[in-house]
Amino acid sequence: MSASLLFDILVTGLITGGIYALVALGLNLQYGLMRVLNVAHGEFLMLGAYVTYSLHTDWGANPLLTLLVTGPAAFVAGLVLHRLLYARVLAQAEAREAIESRSLLLSFGLLFVLQNTALLVWSADLQGYSYLAIPLRVLGAVFPANRVLAAVVALALSVAFYVYLRRSLVGKAIRALMEEPEGAQLVGVNLTRLHGICFGLGVAMAAVTGSLISMLFELTPFVGLPYTVTALVVVILGGLGNVAGSLLAALLLGVVETVGVYFASSDIRLISSYAVLSLILILKPAGLFGR
Amino acid sequence: MQIRRRDFLKATGGGAAAAAVLRGRAWAQAKPIRIGYTLSATGPYSVGAGITQGTGYALWLEQVNAKGGLAVKGEGRRPVEYVTIDDRSEIETAVRFYEKLMGDDKVDLILPPWGTAMNFAVAPVANKYGYPMIGPTVSSNKLKELSFPYFYAILQQPDACMGAFTSFLKELKGQGKVSKVGVAYVNDLFGIEMHSSLTATLKDTGLEIVDTKSYPLGVKDLSPVLKGFKAAGADVFLGLTYPPDNILAASQAKEVDFNPPVYLAAVGTAFPFYRDRFKGAEGVSGIAGWNPKMKYPGAREYYEAHVKKHQKEPDRWASAFAYGSLQILERCVGEVGLDRKKIKEMLDATEFQTVAGPIKFAKGVNVTTPGMVGQWQKGEFEIIWPRALATAPVIIPKPAWA
Amino acid sequence: MAASRVLLAAVALALLAAPWLVTGYQRSLLLAILADIALAVSWAFFSGPTRYLSLATGAFFGAGAYATAVVGGRLAWPLPVLAGAAVGGAMALVVGALALRLRGPYFAVFTFGLAELAKHTLIWYETRVTGTVGRLLLSPPGPWTLYYTVLALAGLAVATALLLRRSRWGYALVGIGEDEERALTLGIDTTRVKIGTFALSAAFMGAVGAAMAPRWTYLDPQVFNPLVSFQTVIMALVGGATTVVGPALGAAFLGLVSELFLLRFRYVYMLALGLTLIAVVVAFPSGLAGIGRRAPRERQG
Repeated sequence: MSASLLFDILVTGLITGGIYALVALGLNLQYGLMRVLNVAHGEFLMLGAYVTYSLHTDWGANPLLTLLVTGPAAFVAGLVLHRLLYARVLAQAEAREAIESRSLLLSFGLLFVLQNTALLVWSADLQGYSYLAIPLRVLGAVFPANRVLAAVVALALSVAFYVYLRRSLVGKAIRALMEEPEGAQLVGVNLTRLHGICFGLGVAMAAVTGSLISMLFELTPFVGLPYTVTALVVVILGGLGNVAGSLLAALLLGVVETVGVYFASSDIRLISSYAVLSLILILKPAGLFGR
Repeated sequence: MQIRRRDFLKATGGGAAAAAVLRGRAWAQAKPIRIGYTLSATGPYSVGAGITQGTGYALWLEQVNAKGGLAVKGEGRRPVEYVTIDDRSEIETAVRFYEKLMGDDKVDLILPPWGTAMNFAVAPVANKYGYPMIGPTVSSNKLKELSFPYFYAILQQPDACMGAFTSFLKELKGQGKVSKVGVAYVNDLFGIEMHSSLTATLKDTGLEIVDTKSYPLGVKDLSPVLKGFKAAGADVFLGLTYPPDNILAASQAKEVDFNPPVYLAAVGTAFPFYRDRFKGAEGVSGIAGWNPKMKYPGAREYYEAHVKKHQKEPDRWASAFAYGSLQILERCVGEVGLDRKKIKEMLDATEFQTVAGPIKFAKGVNVTTPGMVGQWQKGEFEIIWPRALATAPVIIPKPAWA
Repeated sequence: MAASRVLLAAVALALLAAPWLVTGYQRSLLLAILADIALAVSWAFFSGPTRYLSLATGAFFGAGAYATAVVGGRLAWPLPVLAGAAVGGAMALVVGALALRLRGPYFAVFTFGLAELAKHTLIWYETRVTGTVGRLLLSPPGPWTLYYTVLALAGLAVATALLLRRSRWGYALVGIGEDEERALTLGIDTTRVKIGTFALSAAFMGAVGAAMAPRWTYLDPQVFNPLVSFQTVIMALVGGATTVVGPALGAAFLGLVSELFLLRFRYVYMLALGLTLIAVVVAFPSGLAGIGRRAPRERQG
């Protein structure tokens, strides 16, 4: 196998993984921190994508700039949704499993609401646009420029968030809650407010990923669920609640899938990712880096 | 804002008003004809359903009611109303609602749902209740195994479509213009059937299949496949693709700099939005069945009416057949009335003239319309094969991606 | 409790006498709801008391449907249903054994992943090895046969749930749900109990899939539908997964409501359904089965 091919596979895998990383991070914040199983995660991605699509095709906005719109808007939407729906249901729950099952129900309802809204606003027709669909030649290999861009931005945001977690006060509080819930509350961390922020951040990450992938794929109101599934797989693979873990797991998954596709065929992509998931969980029941 | 009857009558003048009242009364007296169907408005089937069937059904309804309704032998014109539900792209839901439409609601006629899988599921129900059903979005070699006398498929079947591809490529090979083919196919029903229809016949042409790759529904990256074809020197890209993967393929072909002289993408290429998405998609070919230049009665008018009503063009494959299937029903009802058995007998025995050309059914399959290959040229999906029906010559090699 | 027994008997009688009471469409609707009841109730055998959220329903259901696809033409009814049960149960034994050490979300995603793995492997196998793509079922059993089959499955599922609840096996399940380590120390063979119940539940799901498949005529690997996994969980949770009647209530409620909305709302029925679901969760967090009772004592810890 030539070095050039190896390079091609590796970079393509990292590109795929980079995009997975951001969408998974958002879910990790919700599922890992709060045990909130938000199956509507992918729907926020879908909406972010549509907003960017509309801003670009109707007003000529640069897709990257639209992140400045979709990100904050989604964050606020997440805060509101948390306050209106999740906070109340979470407060009533007596056990972690109850939180999981009730948030699953809430999110499923939300999924329907969001899909129908998108259907009414944008219709079921396939919509898409072309942005930077040009080849990028690096070291003898060719990559689609828009994919490289999307992955780079996604990875940059993921890493930035990781740094934020480590350095900032809010970040430390979040980490504290993830690792030591009782202790954190004892030292005065406001649980509800922090949950709201995390939920909002999670939604924002989904929306921003959506904005990025709108450059690459066609949209219908029904594209969300597969991304939710991928996010779940990555989060579990990396270890629930482990931010660095899901980053690494995302990249690993991307590379594994790409290797499978190159050496066998595209059919293998899903088989290989689920096989890897199953294998890792059998060997490490709490994920690669979970405890 | 309410218009009072008095004011209305005053505004339009007595004569016209009287005519309107009279027709209104006659209209109110004529029992409406109820035509039932389900169509996927949500879920994965909704894209195709909306483009191909929904538009044609709505257009026909408007036109027929503007004429005063559907002419029924011996009864004059009766207004038509649709009884329709979203089947959510769920087979079970569709089957249940057709049982409702035919068994409980006892509608007069039915129209099919979208897609081969759905039609397979609904066909036995239609057959059991004795309702003729003409499917414009059914294409499968498995039709030969079915025997549902009341079920008709009006679209070209995989053997016909792939036969057209093969003979088209054979001719190009004969001219020395192509020799190596890369085949990519989606591994679901239609893709797999097209593939099996294709491979046997393609080898007989003397063409070399340099690579064959299949990919799953919902694939996110076809660049490995395309890069592989490019590396193998393919001068024909033969994609047995579907939306959205046919869009992904074209988009990524440009990104990885793969531009073979012949680029064939089976399904979805004939949709106007594909052309618009790729700035004209000049030179891209695919399965064809119709375009407004064809000399069929009403073809041009259908095109214009469609654009006027829906603010978008009909697609260049199945849309015209969906509309055509309604024209067929219209003629049957006009000549034999609403007796469904008689309609079926007429369907079996008659050659119909539609906007999609002449249609005749033999054992429930349209045997008149041949498989065709189309190519986007200056904004129109010209028929480039078979020669007898061609509306323009082939452009080869395909120009660079826009 | 006599009132509810009478009610139950009346419902059962009505369901049995359905041929004389309902139209074809209503029978189909009943069929769909009964199938959902069977799925939700059997899902709750295992996931109810143990709190292990299984997302494998779609896989077992699909496997059963595919079993009918493969043998339906050759075996007399109801043998394909038994085949579906066998396939579902066997699959679950494997899945269960592999998932032994997994907890909570890991178990959920693992079961989901295996379901998808099964589906894509089957697709790959069918396209590459057998070269077939889907199968046609050309002489399905009559609609009333299917109806009574699914009615029987639903009834059997409910009966099994009742029996399970009062059996030692059932108490073991509850114990595992409360504190698995403690259950182990109490001498419960948690492995056997978990895998056995999981397989029992999957056998029912496979049977339901096998029973419904003849309605679709053409069957291909798309019958493995992850949405079925989510929908079953939703139905059971809406009704209240820890009771026997809860999942059945949830399935019936959601089945009827969504049908009503589908018939009535052309453009906003998903919106209506979603809002209804949200309203139900907010208003009845313990599920519909909890209405009219005082807040049931959820387990501690």
